[in-house]
Amino acid sequence: MHIIELDEIYKNYGKLQVLKNINLQIEKGTSTALVGPTGSGKTIMLRLIDLLEKPSSGTIYFEGTDANGSNNTRLDIRRQIGMVFQKPLAFKASVYDNIAYGLKIRGQKENMDRKIKELLELIDLPGYENRNALKLSGGETQRLALARAMITDPKLLLLDEPTANLDPISKKKLEELILKINRESETTIIMTTHDLLQGQKLADRMVILYNGQVLQSGTPNQIFRTPKNRFVADFIGIENIMCGTIENSSNGLVKIKTDLITVFAVTEKEGKVHFAIRPDEITISREKVQTSARNTIQGNVNEIIDTGSLIKLLVDAGEIFTVFITRESLSELNISTGTSIWLYFKASAVHVF
Amino acid sequence: MNEIIQAVFQAIELIVELDPKLIQITKLSLYISLTATLIGSLIAIPIGGIIYYYEFRGKRTLVNLIQTLYSVPTVIVGLFLFLLISQQGPLGFLRLLFTPTGMIIGQILLILPLLIGLTITSLVGVSTQIRELAISLGASTYQTIITIIKEARYAIMGTVILGFGRAISEVGVAILIGGNIRGFTRTFTTAISLETSRGNLVLSIALGFILLSLSLIVNLLLNYLQGKD
Repeated sequence: MHIIELDEIYKNYGKLQVLKNINLQIEKGTSTALVGPTGSGKTIMLRLIDLLEKPSSGTIYFEGTDANGSNNTRLDIRRQIGMVFQKPLAFKASVYDNIAYGLKIRGQKENMDRKIKELLELIDLPGYENRNALKLSGGETQRLALARAMITDPKLLLLDEPTANLDPISKKKLEELILKINRESETTIIMTTHDLLQGQKLADRMVILYNGQVLQSGTPNQIFRTPKNRFVADFIGIENIMCGTIENSSNGLVKIKTDLITVFAVTEKEGKVHFAIRPDEITISREKVQTSARNTIQGNVNEIIDTGSLIKLLVDAGEIFTVFITRESLSELNISTGTSIWLYFKASAVHVF
Repeated sequence: MNEIIQAVFQAIELIVELDPKLIQITKLSLYISLTATLIGSLIAIPIGGIIYYYEFRGKRTLVNLIQTLYSVPTVIVGLFLFLLISQQGPLGFLRLLFTPTGMIIGQILLILPLLIGLTITSLVGVSTQIRELAISLGASTYQTIITIIKEARYAIMGTVILGFGRAISEVGVAILIGGNIRGFTRTFTTAISLETSRGNLVLSIALGFILLSLSLIVNLLLNYLQGKD
C-alpha cells in the first residue's frame, strides 16, 4: 500500500490555478524530492499532504484512507505526519518544551526526558534543554524543528525547503541529518527543494514540478540521463542541447542533422527532435586521433571559463559545445582562445528527446 | 496654598501610620477590582480565543462593536446595571444593589469589552505560522487555541493589567451600584469624591497617593511585559 496517494489533485486560489491534475504515489520508506523553481507548486503540495489545506478537487489518500474526512479523521492522519517548514520557527518556550510539544498534546509523556535527550544529541545540540528556543540561530532552530517533528515517530516526514534559509555549514549539517534519518529509520520522507543537487543527494526519487504540473518523476539518475523534455533538460542544467531532424534510421543508429552539423545517435525516435550531450561525455584532443566514438567534430575554442574546480570551454564546431576539462589538461594541451581542437563523443552519449 | 502643602504632609503621615480607615478602603478597593479582573479575564480570554480562531459572518462588525465599548462611560455601565438590579428591575430579587458583589459584576461588565478586544488583538499578533506549526504537530482546535494564547502570554498579561487599571480607577459603577457605604462599599474613587466635597482634603490626598502608586505599579508591570514580548 502507498503511504500517500494524490489522485487528480487540483488547487486554485481564486482564478489562479496552482496545481493541475497531480497524480502521485509515494511508497513507504522512500524519500522523494519535489523539485522545481519558486512558484512551481511544491510547497502547496506539501501543505495539502500535511492536511493544512484542502485541494479544490481530487482526493488524497493516506495509507488508503480518504483524507478529506471529518476533522477527527484529519487530526488522526495529521498526527502520523511530521512537518518542517521552510522558515525556522520555534514556540516561545524552552528547547525542551518545543521538542516535547508533539508528545504532550498526544498525552504520551512516558520516557519523554530520555527521548528528548537522545534527539538533542542526534541534532548536535546536547544539553540545550533549558535554553530559550527563540535565541537559537537559524540552523539550530531548523534542527530543533526536525527533532520536534520526529519525536512522535511520524510515518511520514515532510520537509519544505528545510535548508533554504541556512548558511552553507548549517545546510550541510541538516542534509547529513536527513540522510541519516532516511537510512536509519523507516520514516518516509517527502521534501521540496529548488536545488536539484540537493534532491539528487537526499532522495531516491525526484518529481520535477513546473507551473503546478508534474513534468517528470523518476530516480535522480533517470532524470539526469533522460530528461523528458526541453524544460527538464534546461532545469537540470544539461548543456549542449540542440535540435535537428533524424535521417537514415537503421538498427537504431541514426543521423541527426541540425542546420550546421550532423551527429550520430541511438534512438527509436523519428522526425524533428531535441538532443543533448552531457559535457562530461565529450573528450577532446589537439590532433585528430582514432577512437571508438562515433562522433568526431572539429571546432575552435571560443571562450575559456574558470569555474573554480574545472575549466569550461565553449567550442564553436558549427553548433556551440560546452566541454569541461581539468586545469592540468588545459596547460598540457596548451589551449587558448582560438585554438583548434577535436571533440569526440559516443552515439550512445547523445540523448534524444 | 499653605493649607494644601500641610494637607499633603498630613496625608503622608496617614499613609505611614497605616490609618485604619485608609487600610479598610484600600483593601476593599483591591478586593473588588482584583476579583472583577480575575473573573473578567477567565470569561474574556476564552471568548477572545474563540472569536480569534473562527471565521464567521459579522466577525469584523462584532470586533468593531467590542472596540467601541472600550471607552463606554463608566456611569452608563453603572446606570445600566442599576436598572437591572434595582428593586423594580428584572434582577432586583437578587438584592445585589449596594453590595460589593454588585460592584464586582459592574466592573466585570465594564472591563469585559476591553479584555476580549485586547485578547483578540494579542492573539492576532501571533503569526499564522505558529498556528500552522501547532496544527501540523497534531494539535486539536482546542490545543491550538491554548498554544496561541500561551504564545501571546505577555501581551495577554498586559491586557489583564490594563483591565485592572480601568476597574480600580472607575467611579461610575462604584457610586451607582456601591452607593459609597462606609466600611462596606466605599472605594478609593468614591471616598475621594466624597471627602473632597466635604473639605476633608487630607484623606483624599492620601487615597490619591495610593491610587497613583497603584497606577505606577501597573504601568511598570505593563512596561516590563511589553519589553519581554
